[in-house]
Amino acid sequence: MAETTATEDLDHEGAAAAEFADQLNDTPSDFVHHEEHYTSLGLSNMKLAMWLFLGSEVLLFGALISTYLLSKTRFITELVAGNPYVIEGISNGENGALVNEMIAEASVEPLFDIPFTSLSSFILLMSSLSMVLAHKSVTEGNYKNLRIWLSTTMLLGATFMAGQVYEFTTFYREGLTYDGSLLGTAFYTLTGFHGAHVTGGLIMLGSLIYLSFKNKMQMDRAETVELVGLYWHFVDIVWVLIFTIVYLIP
Amino acid sequence: MAIIEQEPSIAALPSGAARTAAKPLGAFSRPRNPVGLKNWLTTVDHKKIGIMYGTASLFFLLWGGIPALLLRLQLARPNQGLLSGAAYNQIFTMHGTVMIFLVVMPMGAAFANYLLPLQVGARDVAFPRINAFSFWVFLAGGIMLNTSWFLGGGANGGWFNYAPNNGITYNPGVGIDFWNVGLLIAGIGSLTGAVNLITTVLNMRAPGMSWMRMPIFTWMTLVTQFLLLFAIPVLTVAQLLLLFDRRFDGNFFNVDQGSDPLLWQHLFWIFGHPEVYLMILPAFGIVSEVIPVFARKPIFGYPFMVFSGIAIGFMGWGVWAHHMFVSGIGPLSVTAFAVATMFIAVPTGVKVLNWLATLWGGKLILNTAMLFSIGLVTQFTLGGLSGVSHAVASADTQQTDTYYIVAHFHYVLFGGALFGFYSGLYFWFPKAFGYKLNEKIGKWNFWSMVVGFNLTFGPMHILGLQGMPRRMQTYDASQGFNTWNMVATIGSFILGVATLSILYNALVSYRAWRRAGRPDVGPDPWDARSLEWSIQSPTPEHNFDVSPTVTDLDDFWHHKYQEDDNGVLRRIATGKEVAQPGNGEGVHLPAPSYWPLVLALSFPLIGYGLIFSLWLCIPGVVLLITALYGWSLEPADDLDDDHGHGDHHERELVGANG
Amino acid sequence: MSTTTPQAVVDDHAPSHADDHEHHPTVITYWLTFVALVILTAVEVLWSYLPLDGVALVVPLLVMMVVKFAIVGGVFMHLQTDFKILNGYWFTLAFGIAIALAVAVYITVYATFKFQI
Ligand code: HEM
Ligand SMILES: [Cu+2]
Repeated sequence: MAETTATEDLDHEGAAAAEFADQLNDTPSDFVHHEEHYTSLGLSNMKLAMWLFLGSEVLLFGALISTYLLSKTRFITELVAGNPYVIEGISNGENGALVNEMIAEASVEPLFDIPFTSLSSFILLMSSLSMVLAHKSVTEGNYKNLRIWLSTTMLLGATFMAGQVYEFTTFYREGLTYDGSLLGTAFYTLTGFHGAHVTGGLIMLGSLIYLSFKNKMQMDRAETVELVGLYWHFVDIVWVLIFTIVYLIP
Repeated sequence: MAIIEQEPSIAALPSGAARTAAKPLGAFSRPRNPVGLKNWLTTVDHKKIGIMYGTASLFFLLWGGIPALLLRLQLARPNQGLLSGAAYNQIFTMHGTVMIFLVVMPMGAAFANYLLPLQVGARDVAFPRINAFSFWVFLAGGIMLNTSWFLGGGANGGWFNYAPNNGITYNPGVGIDFWNVGLLIAGIGSLTGAVNLITTVLNMRAPGMSWMRMPIFTWMTLVTQFLLLFAIPVLTVAQLLLLFDRRFDGNFFNVDQGSDPLLWQHLFWIFGHPEVYLMILPAFGIVSEVIPVFARKPIFGYPFMVFSGIAIGFMGWGVWAHHMFVSGIGPLSVTAFAVATMFIAVPTGVKVLNWLATLWGGKLILNTAMLFSIGLVTQFTLGGLSGVSHAVASADTQQTDTYYIVAHFHYVLFGGALFGFYSGLYFWFPKAFGYKLNEKIGKWNFWSMVVGFNLTFGPMHILGLQGMPRRMQTYDASQGFNTWNMVATIGSFILGVATLSILYNALVSYRAWRRAGRPDVGPDPWDARSLEWSIQSPTPEHNFDVSPTVTDLDDFWHHKYQEDDNGVLRRIATGKEVAQPGNGEGVHLPAPSYWPLVLALSFPLIGYGLIFSLWLCIPGVVLLITALYGWSLEPADDLDDDHGHGDHHERELVGANG
Repeated sequence: MSTTTPQAVVDDHAPSHADDHEHHPTVITYWLTFVALVILTAVEVLWSYLPLDGVALVVPLLVMMVVKFAIVGGVFMHLQTDFKILNGYWFTLAFGIAIALAVAVYITVYATFKFQI
């Protein structure tokens, strides 16, 4: 790297001066032009980046879900293979019924409390609604509603998490441990990952609420709310998948 | 290279108090104009970050190269006991891991960081602080991975670390954990880097820089970053599953519980095959920039170059199981993947043909950069040919796990990726540092590398076909492997010296330049084609004085050359005349920041915690959270997205978008 | 982000994201979407209780899942409106392809385990 030339000094000063000029315009309530930058796609950088990140998350959850499905299949195969009655094949008369029963007993399905989980899903869907309403409020400059909806979202999210904790403890008590079986490992890992994502979302929501109470989350920052929203909806979508694939499809 | 930055005169600046008053979220202040080491630790300048990536990569090249020479010493003669079996396993694993994750990948990132913003005509990347973070977290992960040598031994499962050998039952030591956690951490850097660079290319192009006007290097790097974006999470999942298995008694790869360890192979290679392409594509991009410049012709078949790159990017996702032909996936899968693999050779072949067609009939200037590029074309093609021979699944049953494979991937990675990078180093060195590398030493560098390289890895084809298995610590004199192994070892030492000679070259060239009074190489020393040559060398801190307006592919070239009435291409200006003067007045650059480094440091802390004691995670997490909040509360006058647009008014007027 | 900045609307060659919110769905749409999602979920749950087996059970469930996925993405995540401002629809297309690719990859993995013939 070459030594600094006089021009570079000038740069610093020029930059600093421009910065200062910017500052003057940038009173907290009015720095709208920050968001007006030209971008080649017409989509803000932050939003594009969030979408890219979510794209990569698709692959992450894809891998986790397929791992779960595979582990479940293998778990059942193992049960069947380890069963002396079924050398002939499973769907074979009396033995078949016996084996099916055995699978049903050992698997996660009997543990599932579908009404309970449906309620959880409903709660998470509802939080998605309140999240978009929060975004809507902030774009309209309705900060009171913003706070209400953000808090609702956070509350609903927290309720969902509480439900998951409850579910985990029940399952655990009923014998599905993390290290006890392949199924347990896979189930807790997949749903736990989702839970971790929800928790991350809760932290972001908490920060948003805090900022909005300090009047720092205003119209000019609506995009921040939208970005957190994108993440939140994505987590919701993942739950849509998990709910159907893990809970509803036997 | 001394880094001397003078303090700007403070007098002209508004007082600090006045500034902080207006900070919307202000809580922390960012360092202003730091000098020396602090400048590098806090920089958010994509050029400095690129240089740091490059330096780290070269360091790891040395660090991973020495073990390789040890391996070759051990194999020089039959029945040697220089390295024990255990040591041998660790050394080849760490060699491969370091070379792939800490040499080739970051070198690609180095070029991407330095060049992407310049080639698309931007002031910096989309998120400068995240860019710095990507680098630091990569470095943190890389260093952490290598501390395993001192804390219980290196990993020994091969760079692909198959299950169930990587399980706690077979591998109770911490080596595997270091491999696992270190790469997880480095992966975070790749992921954030990918998001950042893709956003930059998609969103920050100069007016008129439409898709089909982007330089090939930009295109190839864009594809590379998409591959990273989608491939890294798959590896992450595999590694997390392994982590849970090893640390929390999970059962993902526990055969006793009925699991299928093949899952690891699938996940690893779904990542792994895109990975090999994302290692080679940046080098392809470099060569596609260098060859037209020194053949004095535009690249042949630009759209084919672009689309073959994109095709590789897509097809790279459908061939992973060619690494698993002998794992028992069944003839149906084997057939499908064999066919897919043969198809992927097509776009690769298109590229080679286009380079040849560009060279054809050109007025070739055979300087070092060009030689390395031609070197890539030849050596990579050899590697590609052996690759196609692996695609024939029935033949591959004989080749797999022999030295034939080792020969293959060294031809593509060393003869391909590394030759390409060397070409790029020689080519862009004057742009980054303001002086050229010595041509005479450069030519020695190239020819000795070619000789050493072919002596080392050429014989491995023969050894492999003779049946010498890879990853064996030794062989017996009666097996008939003696001669070629000796040749390979001799070659490897030639190669080692040759590879390092670029550092010697840099030193000699720097001294000569300094002695000559630091003459200016000018903006465009090679009479080149893309935008980065239209600004001064070394690149001014603010890159472009004004956003260039692009009207053509190879726009800069067309400012220098135009067809006259008879259709003959004539020079109308020199690069110096049309280049921007490098006056950055009024340009708003983001201030440096501590937080990227601090945030990156929290990860290895958590990592050590996961390996040794979960208690250690607590300070790590605390640091993580502090850094995250510090980061987001940093003054908004330096908001990342508030940058690189000092001239956004002009941009809006021109208003092109591609 | 302001919907009031005048200059944002002037130049239609340089789409600024400032104008994207103008097309964002209304509150009513959001509520209706939510209702649709709830209904779909209810149908899903009920369907899973039906004495069905195999394809008849699984396929409708998967279809409803995909529909829910698309609705959340399209309306709540503004995919439907945001990407209109991009040149053509190539971006949405690229994302669609990427997701399809991911799904295909994982289905293939699953298939290789199933068909070890
Ligand atoms: C002086 C230069 C080099 C020499 C002498 C060398 C030599 C070797 C040797 C002897 C092995 C072990 C073969 C075995 O027993 O299985 C090996 C493996 C490997 N090398 Fe190199 N190598 C060199 C440079 C590189 C470079 C530049 C790269 C990457 C770009 C690289 C990537 C690899 C990989 C991926 C493996 C496989 C590791 C594994 O199977 O786990 N090597 N190399
Ligand atoms: Cu491959």
